[in-house]
Amino acid sequence: MHAKIKILFFVILLFLSFHVSTYAQADQDTTMIQPIAETAHELPEAFMVIPFVLLLLAIATGPILYKHFWEHNYPIISIILGLITVLYYLIFLGDTHTLLHTFAEYLSFIALLSSLFVASGGILIKVDKKATPLANVIFLLIGGVLANIIGTTGASMLLIRPFIKMNKDRISAYHIIFFIFIVSNVGGALTPIGDPPLFLGFLRGVNFFWFFENIWFIWLPTILMVAAIFYVVDSRNKKGTESTASDYTGKIEFRGTKNLLYLGIILISVFIDPAVISWVPSLVPLPFGIREIIMFSVVYFSYKTADEEILRDNEFDFEPIKEVAFLFIGIFATMIPALQLIAHEARLYGDSLNAGVFYWATGILSGFLDNAPTFLNFLSAAMGKFGLDINVQAQVKEFVVVDEIYLVAISVAAVFFGAITYIGNGPNFMVKAISERAGIVMPTFFVYLFKYAVTVLIPIYIIIWLIFFYGHG
Amino acid sequence: MKNMKTLDEIISSKVNGLYYGCRMLLPFTGTILKMVIEDDIIMDFSPRSKDITFVQKENYTDIYLHNYKNLSDAVNKYEHIKMIVVEQGKDIFDFNNHRKIAVLVEEDHKLIIEELDKDILFIE
Repeated sequence: MHAKIKILFFVILLFLSFHVSTYAQADQDTTMIQPIAETAHELPEAFMVIPFVLLLLAIATGPILYKHFWEHNYPIISIILGLITVLYYLIFLGDTHTLLHTFAEYLSFIALLSSLFVASGGILIKVDKKATPLANVIFLLIGGVLANIIGTTGASMLLIRPFIKMNKDRISAYHIIFFIFIVSNVGGALTPIGDPPLFLGFLRGVNFFWFFENIWFIWLPTILMVAAIFYVVDSRNKKGTESTASDYTGKIEFRGTKNLLYLGIILISVFIDPAVISWVPSLVPLPFGIREIIMFSVVYFSYKTADEEILRDNEFDFEPIKEVAFLFIGIFATMIPALQLIAHEARLYGDSLNAGVFYWATGILSGFLDNAPTFLNFLSAAMGKFGLDINVQAQVKEFVVVDEIYLVAISVAAVFFGAITYIGNGPNFMVKAISERAGIVMPTFFVYLFKYAVTVLIPIYIIIWLIFFYGHG
Repeated sequence: MKNMKTLDEIISSKVNGLYYGCRMLLPFTGTILKMVIEDDIIMDFSPRSKDITFVQKENYTDIYLHNYKNLSDAVNKYEHIKMIVVEQGKDIFDFNNHRKIAVLVEEDHKLIIEELDKDILFIE
């Protein structure tokens, strides 16, 4: 029964990918990055956000209230809710374009996450140092910087195990949560490689170094404030204090060097896109490009050639990425109506929205929806205020020059607020799963949200808003 | 307590456990304080637990993991079922007696029992 529903879902997606070729041909190489709201199709009914709300509720309550039912059935629940939206768009709106576009985005998303997950699973870093609050802060800050070079997913997968190991005598859930805050999210706000929304901005025409030049002065105090709170919390943890620095060799061991090559291939392939390099062929009408083919090839080859001993030490398992793949296919499908309705409202009231509103709206929605399409839709709405079109690269460049405060607000919010829930950003879930396999009891969805995100991050984000965005724009 | 082996003997002489579907038979007796299988962290070994049934026999331990139909489907060749065990007769309150054990699921119903490699993450 379950297998049949999954097959039906993928048959529909396959059908879409070919049926839509007439639309896709017209879009040519911009298909992959066109915002959902840009299509000329009819808007969905408001009640079509119900599957999305149900899926969010299931993700939030499933692991607490009906854990084992959820563990066995989350793929089918996610797919059924996704199918409701897909069938609605097919039958009632006749909108295959949006569905294909979303499927293409999903494929890009999962190609990047799965390739980074598998490639980093073949790398083992051992840090034999005494974990102190200061050492942990330095570790997290290095992770935050690294997130801009190998992406938040790559940095998270590479560093979470050594971070746990380093703190094995004193680890608590808060260690993992601050790791998610800094390495899996906030850290990656400086380059398009850091987080997917910024990469979409780069594909649209924003200069690669624009994010660093315009965000570093917001990134730096934010990451320092989060790290400072971590330092205070960690200083109160007296576990493991009986061991001394002499009990540790101080050595850092690195194994699985060849997988660094695979990570390099993934990073280079990020730029292999017709919108970035003109000679890269577009594979339209297929819902993926050369980039995704390279990334999925890395998944295969890095797994097949990985050192078995490292995979064993890392207890490598596809389950965390499988969980992300199934949950996010439902999230991507069910969030289409929500995003379209939000984009529509943003356009209607765009003139009256200032940078602060864009900051909060992009942020809160990025915490619960995927931050990449949220970023694009709000960028589109912000550009609409100035009569500019997000689909024209020259106009994106003009927008960046004319009034960068909106792009700064949207970029910062899309990246930072990914940390407020487990579903806010892909690596959050994977870090949680790896930690649980190490025996660390992680907080539930709501405890994470209210005890940690709301109390630690939201006050910092309010400070950021007051300093940089309040009364601007 | 005939044929009763210590954990050290079991590990050094590579005595295997057995599994049939969700049932594990471990060739030692003692108290399990914590068990991690996949991302399930099991600490409730009481008779009320819905996750696990734990039965001490004379010279082996019988465990039923109710959330798994077949252990070989749930645990792949790179994964372990990890547990903290205190052998029968040892002082449970002495942390030196808390042994970190890895159980690997092999073919032919075999469970390989090893001392957990220090490189593998398992937080007590």
